[in-house]
Amino acid sequence: MDNREAKFILSVYRPDGQDASDRRFAEALNQVRRDPMLERWFGASVAFDAAIAEKLRVIEAPPDLHENILAGVKVSRVSRWKNQLAKWAIAAALILSAALGSLIWHNTRPAPLAGWQTQALDVISSLVRNESSFDAQSNQPDELVTWLRANDAPAAQKLPDNLDKLSSLGCKTFSWNGIPVSVICFARPDGGLIHLVMRTSPAASDRIREAEVKLIQRGEWATATWCEGEMIYMLALEGSRDQLRSYLL
Amino acid sequence: MSENDFEQLVDRQYTPLFRFALSLSRSEAEAADLTQQTFFLWASKGHQLRDSSKAKSWLFTTLYREFLGRRRHEVRFPKIELDDAREDEMSILPNVNALDSGAVLQALREVEEAFRAPLTLFYLEQFSYQEIADVLEVPIGTVMSRLSRGKALLRQRLLSKEDAPGNKVVSFQSKKKGESHG
Repeated sequence: MDNREAKFILSVYRPDGQDASDRRFAEALNQVRRDPMLERWFGASVAFDAAIAEKLRVIEAPPDLHENILAGVKVSRVSRWKNQLAKWAIAAALILSAALGSLIWHNTRPAPLAGWQTQALDVISSLVRNESSFDAQSNQPDELVTWLRANDAPAAQKLPDNLDKLSSLGCKTFSWNGIPVSVICFARPDGGLIHLVMRTSPAASDRIREAEVKLIQRGEWATATWCEGEMIYMLALEGSRDQLRSYLL
Repeated sequence: MSENDFEQLVDRQYTPLFRFALSLSRSEAEAADLTQQTFFLWASKGHQLRDSSKAKSWLFTTLYREFLGRRRHEVRFPKIELDDAREDEMSILPNVNALDSGAVLQALREVEEAFRAPLTLFYLEQFSYQEIADVLEVPIGTVMSRLSRGKALLRQRLLSKEDAPGNKVVSFQSKKKGESHG
């Protein structure tokens, strides 16, 4: 082993000596003992590393971060629990409805939301609660669509007419099982929010299945999902399906 | 994982995670957001991890992936050429003790991200080279190479900070001999 190789290996030797017994360092450390020049280099290197580590050790996290993490996770847990409860309640209601032969509006399908839709609602909830931030912000929806396209994120070819008239707040992208998904949040005239979720359709068979608008009420969320070209869209708001329908006309 | 176990995990890891995030991101707010998001992901997916001893690596890996995911959509900083850093240059070492933590952190942030992430994990002292390789999902040889070059880049940045006014820690001057105490 020459000095260059020894330096290369010792570059990952931690200054507090945690690695002293690691056999991978044994030969390099022996080399240090044999060569005074290398020993001087190693001493200076360890001292430098120790000084940097010490400087980083005094950096404290913001005082409210710890509490925010615990509080945020608790809210998420409650939300998930409520969602579970809502799912069971919906399932029970649907079974009862089927048993009674009730008619359900023809565009509503008693199916649970897909994984990407559930995650989209979680992302939206997180944005609404200020637990996460937008990737880009603008009150002009077209600017957000342009930003999404520029960043290779799914973006609507054309925004639904009724959304196009609204002011936007911002957009966010996330990945679900490796599939990119985009969300644009809009401000409704009544003070509420409405969110357009966009992703590409994975297969032609799915596009056929998704041809119609599916309205699903999940807890406080009303969602409408449809397919257009190679894109799947979901419109979501906290409210009723009737409120949502007005944006689908 | 019980609520109590989760709280203990947060207690142990939120500060080092925040420091790692702070070195990667541009602001304290972004670093806090990354840290929170990592724990939220743990709360929703962490139970899938069978080996609880790997929780620390999982958290750091997830934070790093989250950071990369966000950066992918942003304009990249101009890259620092590797030739800028001479690995053997140890003749002039910056006097780190004369700089405050903010200046050191700033110098670290000016190092290109590919070198900054392993450097921060290394200086947090919680990670072995094997763990750094696991977190960043690169071979051990790459970790060694990036650390070696990253340290050279950091030294350069620190030397430039040393020259800049206002970054030094100035100690109070001791009273001159013979000065009376009133």
